[in-house]
Amino acid sequence: MSVREVLGAARTAFWLRACDRVGERPRLHGRPTLMAFGGRILIGDRFQLASRPVPSHLVAGPLGVLEIGHDVSIAHGAAVAAFEYVQIGDGTSMGPFVVIMDTNFHGVSGDQSVQHECRPVVIGSHCHIGTRVTITRGATIGDGAEILAGSVVSSAIPPGVCAGGARARIVGRAGEAASRWDGAAAAIPELVMHAFGLDAPPDLSTPPFEIPGWDSHGVTRLIAAIGSRFGVSLEATAVSDAFSLGDLAAAVERKRDSRSSPTASRT
Amino acid sequence: MARSLISWLRSPEVWLTSAVGAKVWLRGCNQVGARTRTFGRPHIQNQGRIVIGRRVRLSSRWSPLELVTGPEGVIEIGDGVFINYGTLISAYARVRIGQNVMIGNYSIIADTEIPGIGAPPGGPLMEPRAVEIGDGAWLATRVTVLPGTRIGAGAVIAAGSVVAGEIPAGSVAGGIPARILRRSPAEVLSVSGHAPAAGPESGPR
Repeated sequence: MSVREVLGAARTAFWLRACDRVGERPRLHGRPTLMAFGGRILIGDRFQLASRPVPSHLVAGPLGVLEIGHDVSIAHGAAVAAFEYVQIGDGTSMGPFVVIMDTNFHGVSGDQSVQHECRPVVIGSHCHIGTRVTITRGATIGDGAEILAGSVVSSAIPPGVCAGGARARIVGRAGEAASRWDGAAAAIPELVMHAFGLDAPPDLSTPPFEIPGWDSHGVTRLIAAIGSRFGVSLEATAVSDAFSLGDLAAAVERKRDSRSSPTASRT
Repeated sequence: MARSLISWLRSPEVWLTSAVGAKVWLRGCNQVGARTRTFGRPHIQNQGRIVIGRRVRLSSRWSPLELVTGPEGVIEIGDGVFINYGTLISAYARVRIGQNVMIGNYSIIADTEIPGIGAPPGGPLMEPRAVEIGDGAWLATRVTVLPGTRIGAGAVIAAGSVVAGEIPAGSVAGGIPARILRRSPAEVLSVSGHAPAAGPESGPR
């Protein structure tokens, strides 16, 4: 072991000195702040934490437990506060400026005394958490889920889905192009909301006929809106035959694909 | 064990540096009240007027707080306000923050469209519109307050929201753009900032 490696390991151990357990070969970039005010911070193997250019900080409150699995990587500017329980599963990666907290730090308005109301946060394994995501108390994210940049997660996100928005709702399956911000799956609930004058965007799993006020005028408005947003023309039957809005989004994506590559004979 | 958190905040060095820091780092402000503290170094660019009340706590712990005023801009921060790190407050007209307001990290409160240090020289591109935040309001993490917004007393803004227009007193609002999630109970918070008996029981999630 070279002198350089020994110094590097000593430096890492120094910045992670507040942890109760650190796995093998942690890697730090820059100088993070880890504080355990009587709580416990448990870190798995091959942990990566960036603190350049903006330092990250991981804080465990007096009764808090922060449990980080193996192969977790967190980018710079992260703020993690565990005053009750925060778990980050194996292989999860997080973008810059992620904020995770299981407490509101204080009571509601005017009351400046520190009155925590905590609910545990559980993030599954192999999740992808985008840039500037805020995860607030009580949130659970299933294994393999993907959270789009800038989202606020405050509820339960099932495994394997892609979710986004403030607050986050399901926009598709994880890892699919259709469930990006510019994909059909992300936009269609909103288009349906406007076409049928709903108060809130419906869930992608909703069957079309269950949408309140579903009629031919609304369908015409929806097809026009899809046409202007994605440049594809759908038949009215394609809309009414869809089992769910997610199915409709898939139909729009297929149309887009066949239009962008006319030689491919996909229908 | 809870004492360790409190004892850290009240430890002699934090006690001293935050009090001395306020004198040093807030010297560019026009008026700073008694017992105001700064944690870390805020960035202040004052061409107008910045008035800070008593017992204000300004954090710049992990990312600096920015207070920016244009030539005719006024920032007024009331007594007992707490502002967390990374927040930007920019005024070319007027930004008024009432008493006992709490503002979460990385929030942006500006009365122009392109705020902050490094904004286009020669003033704002559009007419600035004054922003007002009522007494006892709570802005959670990463709230963006757009020009011309008025947030009522005791209102709660959920994390990650972008607020425009008027938010009534005592209500809970959230989303992009922020909508009212919960109206206030009939007994709206008193101006003095005491929590009502039957207030919003949990705030934003």
